[in-house]
Formats: sequence, C-alpha cells, structure tokens
Amino acid sequence: MKYDLVVIGAGPAGMSAAIKAASHGATVAIVDENPAAGGKLLGQLYKEPKTGWWIGREVAKSLEEKVKRLGIDYFPENEVWAIFPQWKVLLNHGEELHTDYILLATGAAEKAIPVPGWTIPGVMSIGAAQVLNNFHRVNPGKRIAIIGIDALSLTVANELKLSGAQVIGIYLPPPDDFLDRISNPQQMIAYLSSLADAAPNHFLKFAGKVTQNEFIQKVSAAFYPYRGMKIWGIPLFLRKSILEIEGDKQAEQIKIAKISRDGLPEMESVKTIQVDCVCISGGLYPLSELASAAGCEFAYINELGGHIPLHSQEMETTQTGIFVAGNITGIEGAKIAMAQGELAGTVVSDRLGLLKSGTAIIKKAQARVEKARENALIKFQPDIEKGRELAVQFWDERT
Amino acid sequence: MSDKIICRCEEVLLSEIVEAMKTGAQTEKELKLKTRAGMGICQGRTCRPLLEQIISFYTNKKIPQASNLTFSIPVRPLSLSALAHTGKDYKNEN
Repeated sequence: MKYDLVVIGAGPAGMSAAIKAASHGATVAIVDENPAAGGKLLGQLYKEPKTGWWIGREVAKSLEEKVKRLGIDYFPENEVWAIFPQWKVLLNHGEELHTDYILLATGAAEKAIPVPGWTIPGVMSIGAAQVLNNFHRVNPGKRIAIIGIDALSLTVANELKLSGAQVIGIYLPPPDDFLDRISNPQQMIAYLSSLADAAPNHFLKFAGKVTQNEFIQKVSAAFYPYRGMKIWGIPLFLRKSILEIEGDKQAEQIKIAKISRDGLPEMESVKTIQVDCVCISGGLYPLSELASAAGCEFAYINELGGHIPLHSQEMETTQTGIFVAGNITGIEGAKIAMAQGELAGTVVSDRLGLLKSGTAIIKKAQARVEKARENALIKFQPDIEKGRELAVQFWDERT
Repeated sequence: MSDKIICRCEEVLLSEIVEAMKTGAQTEKELKLKTRAGMGICQGRTCRPLLEQIISFYTNKKIPQASNLTFSIPVRPLSLSALAHTGKDYKNEN
C-alpha cells in the first residue's frame, strides 16, 4: 500500500500529526503496537488549576474519532519491525507500507531502577501501575510502596490512593554508585522544590511547597525528618531508601533503611515492611530504536532524557523524509507532543505541495509548540530548556 | 549490599558487569559481547540506559552522543511465521 505519510505511534503526537496532514488532503496511515489508541494519554488523569480536569482517555478518544472521520488507515496491534529506504515500513503481520514521509512518534520507555528483587512478580514500573489503575481500573496491589520520587510517582501515588489502594510510602531508590542523583536526599529536595510552581495538581503542588518550606530550605536534607512527611495521607520519605524487595512467588516485603545526608544507608536502621506491590519510577527515556535502525544521527542529551535523533526546527531528522515528534525528541507533556505533531503534519503537507502559503503556516505551528512549552504546567525533566537549546545547537553545528 | 540484576532478560548481575569491566570491557558493545547484557528478548530496552550509566560511572567518561550499541532489525521480536509471510496478505489467511 502507498501513502503520503506513515505515522508510527498513535499517541498525542502521532495522532495530531496524522489528523493535520489528512485534513490538508494527504493519504495517511497510523501504526501502533497497542490495542487502544492514545499512548501515554490513556493513563493521564489530573486537575489543572486553570483549565480543570485533564482526562487523557477522553482526549485520546476525540483524537481517534477525528482519525476515523478523516479516513486515516489505522493499524492497531501492529509492530513496525523494520524501515527500509526510501521508504518502506514493514509490519509484523505482513503488511508493507510504502511512503515518501515517515513520522516516528514512538514516545518514551521507562527507565528501570535496579533494586535487589526488582524482577519478582508484583514489582512493576510506575507507568504500568498507572495504566492498570487509571485505564483498566484494576488496583495493582493493596499495600503499595513506591521507589523513586518525581512528578510521575507523586501523581500516580495520589491516583492509587484515590482508587482505594494503600500507598505505604514513597521512598528513595537504594544508594548506588552510578545512580547517585536520584538517591541523594539533598538533590531530591532541590528537584522537588523546583516542581512547586509548575505542579499540575494540588498534590504535586503541596509536595513542592513542603520542600520550599523555609526551615527545610535552610537546613537542607540534614534535618528532613526520617519519619517523612505526609502529603494527603501518603508518607513521602526523602531520607529513607528501599534496599531490597523480598518474596517467594510474589513481592511480600521490602527492606528499608535511613539514608544519611550524604546519601549513605545506615545499616543499623534497616526495617522490614509488608507489601504486595512495589512500583518503580526511574523516569522516561526517548524510544528511538527505529530512528537508529533507519540510520538517523543522534545526540545524548541528559536533560531530554537520553539519546534523541537530531532534528531540524521542522522536525526532520538527518534522514530525508523521516520526521520525529513527541517524547522521542525529549520528555515533555502531552500538549507539547500534540503541538509538535501538528507541526510535523504541517511540514509534511507543505512538502507534498498541499499548502498555499506553507512557510507562514509552518511558522505559526512552530510558535504553537513554543506556546505549549511556556504554558506547560509540569516539567518532567528539571533542565528541559537547556536540553532544548543543546538539541538546536547540535543540529546547527551539523549543518 | 546484595547483588542485583541489571539485564533481566539474560539475568546478568551488576557484579558480573563490574567484573567484565575489570577484565577489560570498556564499552556497551564489549559488555554485551562478554556478558550477554542487552541481548535478550527486549533487546536492551530495559537495561541499555543502565549499562550506559554504569560504564560512564566506572570509566569516568561521558555517555557518547551516538550509542556504540547498534539497533538492528527486527527491532521487535518477530515470529518466524510473520517473517515468512512478509509481503503477503497475512490477515486473509487467518
């Protein structure tokens, strides 16, 4: 089958791009490995101070309806296993899609935090817990411990509690040579206070405010109470770490220890606590295997979450005709991903000769991405602006 | 402290990775060839960022701009029957 544009990933970026290009008259296909369209939108559920509830599932549904209305060919539960020049997209059920333009909107994958016992059943990533809880409406456990303190883990902790599970605490990861940033109490407190102004819901905002407290600011991690602080009934432990998860056939208990100001465990303080589920939140990284296999050039930008395909301001990679949008370009929120998708869809429409005053329309779409960034309530990566500047710099240096 | 699994598909422990580095492995690629870390069914989707961090820490070098681990097709596990049906209308035969 021949298309003008093949979009890989039916999340906020991919669907927005497909809708934009199809509305200008392009023939478009979308491929996604999941049974339901929406990507990370499906788990999102929170209240924003100005615009009210953001119900990801509803947003996904409305995008999917537009996709159907525009006659876009949608291939759910299909994995892309190869892209061949120039360009052929191969799906695991045998279809071959031919196209001049590809958009990689493959999103992100979760970073693991290795803890002894992290492969026992009942231990899952925070994203898995979020989808189970908010989309499938199944509690991942009755007594849940969370490892890793960040915007996502705080948000999901609140959602788990709202749905009736007991969240016994949010803990630091075990101190580790190569993971020092996320298991160090001082850096964690600095990160949390940076969330306070941008938090999308009351829970996050409160967590940020606690750490902005003058007393805590002054004395830093040294005096943060070991017993933690309760935030809406969920204990947040900035000085306790989960050292090990134990269980025979299923997670049964965790070993926790106090962490000194310098991030070292105090072994005499080790305690055992019963749990039936442990969620690990290690952040996200751009999922870019197809870009790599297709020969796109990369940069490592820690501020964006990891390796990203180099791309122009028009979202094109170093491979002519392969575009990127959404979290594959760096970890940001769904609204930014949607704006990036619309930009990519607009640029592709222009290349196809479907736009009359393409340059002006593209400029507007670029401005909307910037606007979405300015309005972003939540920053998943602490230094995202610096990361974006680096991405532009690396691209400019190359050309 | 207890040892821990880094590559869960191939069950490669942190101690094995550190040992491999002591005996000369300096890059993700060398670690992979020596220990099989990243060669399992998920093709390194879970442990790749960990391996990068571990190497960066122990060699005191920055994570490279381009990973020295290549991604090869098929980028997802593919059944032999799917591979054999490539190019044909697989759905109609089911």
